Amino acid sequence: MLDVDLHHGASTDVGLVRKVNEDSYLVAPPVFVVADGMGGHSGGDVASQMVVEEFQRLAESYDPQRGAELVADAFTRAQARIVDYGDAHRALQPGWHAGTTAVVAVLVVDDGVTKWLLANLGDSRIYRIVERRLEQVSVDHSVVQELIDSGHITSEEAAVHPERHVITRALGSPEGIQPDFFLLPLGSVERLLLCSDGVTGMIEDEEIEEILESVADPRDAADALVRAAVAAGGRDNATAVVVDVVGLVKDATYDSRRQLESLESKLGGRL
Amino acid sequence: MSTEARFAPGDWYAVVGDRVTVLLPGSQRGRVATLWDLADSGAGADVLLDALLAGGLSTLDHFALVAHDDDATRLIVRGAPTATVSSTGGDEILTAAPGTTWAEQVLAGVSSVRVTLTGDGSADHRLTPGLARVSAVEFGTPSAPAAGGSAPDEPAAEAADVAEAPVGDEPVQDAVVEDPAVEDEPVAEAPAVESAPDEPAPATPAAPLQFGSPEDDPTPTGETPAVQDDWSDRDGQTQVGTPHPEFERPPIPGQEIGPDVVAQPVASLVFSTGDVVSVDRTVLVGRAPEARRFASHDQPHVVTVPSPHQEISSTHLEIRPGAGADHGSAVATDLGSTNGTVLAQPGLDAEELKPGIAVSLIPGAVLDLGDGVTIQVTNP
Repeated sequence: MLDVDLHHGASTDVGLVRKVNEDSYLVAPPVFVVADGMGGHSGGDVASQMVVEEFQRLAESYDPQRGAELVADAFTRAQARIVDYGDAHRALQPGWHAGTTAVVAVLVVDDGVTKWLLANLGDSRIYRIVERRLEQVSVDHSVVQELIDSGHITSEEAAVHPERHVITRALGSPEGIQPDFFLLPLGSVERLLLCSDGVTGMIEDEEIEEILESVADPRDAADALVRAAVAAGGRDNATAVVVDVVGLVKDATYDSRRQLESLESKLGGRL
Repeated sequence: MSTEARFAPGDWYAVVGDRVTVLLPGSQRGRVATLWDLADSGAGADVLLDALLAGGLSTLDHFALVAHDDDATRLIVRGAPTATVSSTGGDEILTAAPGTTWAEQVLAGVSSVRVTLTGDGSADHRLTPGLARVSAVEFGTPSAPAAGGSAPDEPAAEAADVAEAPVGDEPVQDAVVEDPAVEDEPVAEAPAVESAPDEPAPATPAAPLQFGSPEDDPTPTGETPAVQDDWSDRDGQTQVGTPHPEFERPPIPGQEIGPDVVAQPVASLVFSTGDVVSVDRTVLVGRAPEARRFASHDQPHVVTVPSPHQEISSTHLEIRPGAGADHGSAVATDLGSTNGTVLAQPGLDAEELKPGIAVSLIPGAVLDLGDGVTIQVTNP
């Protein structure tokens, strides 16, 4: 766990249309979060900030051996706070609601091996660079994603679908939360991107890949992604967190065995 | 029917899963733990009923079960509980006649169900998946609609859909709805189910609750963050909706959806590398396996095996507890690996697994992944 050195960069922008930035993010290695709030008057920004605060709390006393459990707990606490906050406001203003998406990346120790545990709720996204290609890891919890999965529309049609902003899972939802989790080996993630739909709704995956491949410093890469989203129209708050694993140690079992074999052959089988 | 549920506090247990709720008297604490374990892992009505009856009927004088399907509601009451059902066919009351095993009905077009256990308190607490101590529960159209739904159109649309549903596939259901004398019906059905308790159902020990369950203390941990609040215009477009039922992906025809986590392992896997892994949930095997889209309570076992010649794919093989006809055994699926997986079952010729096709494993089976890595299947 301690062998893993992470470099990261983060950037956010309110965009050109909206007056408030309802996105929040957290970079507290090895805990990274992007949350895209939604709701009326001081709904979304408070909700996304609550998620970040709960994960900040998790980062302060983080135990990577219990990573999955701690992340689930942080989601539960954030959900309870957002629901309470929403209930309190609704008493005064019927119809008012607060909610937020969340994408989370943390390093965990699973079976003695350090891995990435990723989680998502809503339509913020997690991408990775693997073998120099961009790949979307998370699957949006959105109406259009369900339509794509069921073969009703294509991803091109989804981009202009009238319901493209409707998400099916979120923190603050009265139906409760069901985050999706992903467990990936450290070595399968060359670079990680967490971002809000203000980035992915404005620029194509090809452009995201181009930026992540060409900009070496993760801080510059995060800046470049958000700048590109704003330049493309900036219709929504845009936030990006980019994480690089520096000094990656390859899979222990694999390497030690191979090294032993190669040493054995060099020494004529005397080991 | 909307599955929104409420309850009145009392001393009965309500074990509430996503679609199935089991109600048991306060004395049935032992059964509750087992049932919750299953309900939390998404078990259906039949699985819960199996577990409920595992200890025999003689020690189970009273219970009620309510299961919601996409277009039907199934009700079982035994002993004291009374269910009041409002559906398109009118209102009716379901109770078990003294001396019968239980009363059971499947109804379509149900708009609300109230199950009264003890007393007739008004159900005004929200019932969410988890455990609750109750005296009555209500499902469906609330007496006082919850204010401030974020997508007000959705529930209305759903209700309309359901109202039209009784056009239904099963003529039996229509008959049940229209026939006021249905209370005799359960007697006819009873013998079929009565045999269930005689079968030696596996004892399911009370496993500890999983993390992330509603039992977790959701104590708020801080104050409301201070934010600037001096703007007037918000044009955020993102909204919360509910999944459209029409677009829920159907299961693979002929295959039941497997339980995510089972109370007891169905097999043990002995790897040639020396690892021994229990199949009490999904096990993923590969050179650098990736687990995708799992819930916090059913994190798969991920087993990394060495493959110096890269013959094994990064996520090569899945082994999980079987469902339906494969219940109680482990099933293996090759996940589209580059070099394939060979399965040798005792007494059968070795076969190559077809990608994506699950094969039931018997004890003594050996799976060969390549690069000298084999997995032997043994009893748990």
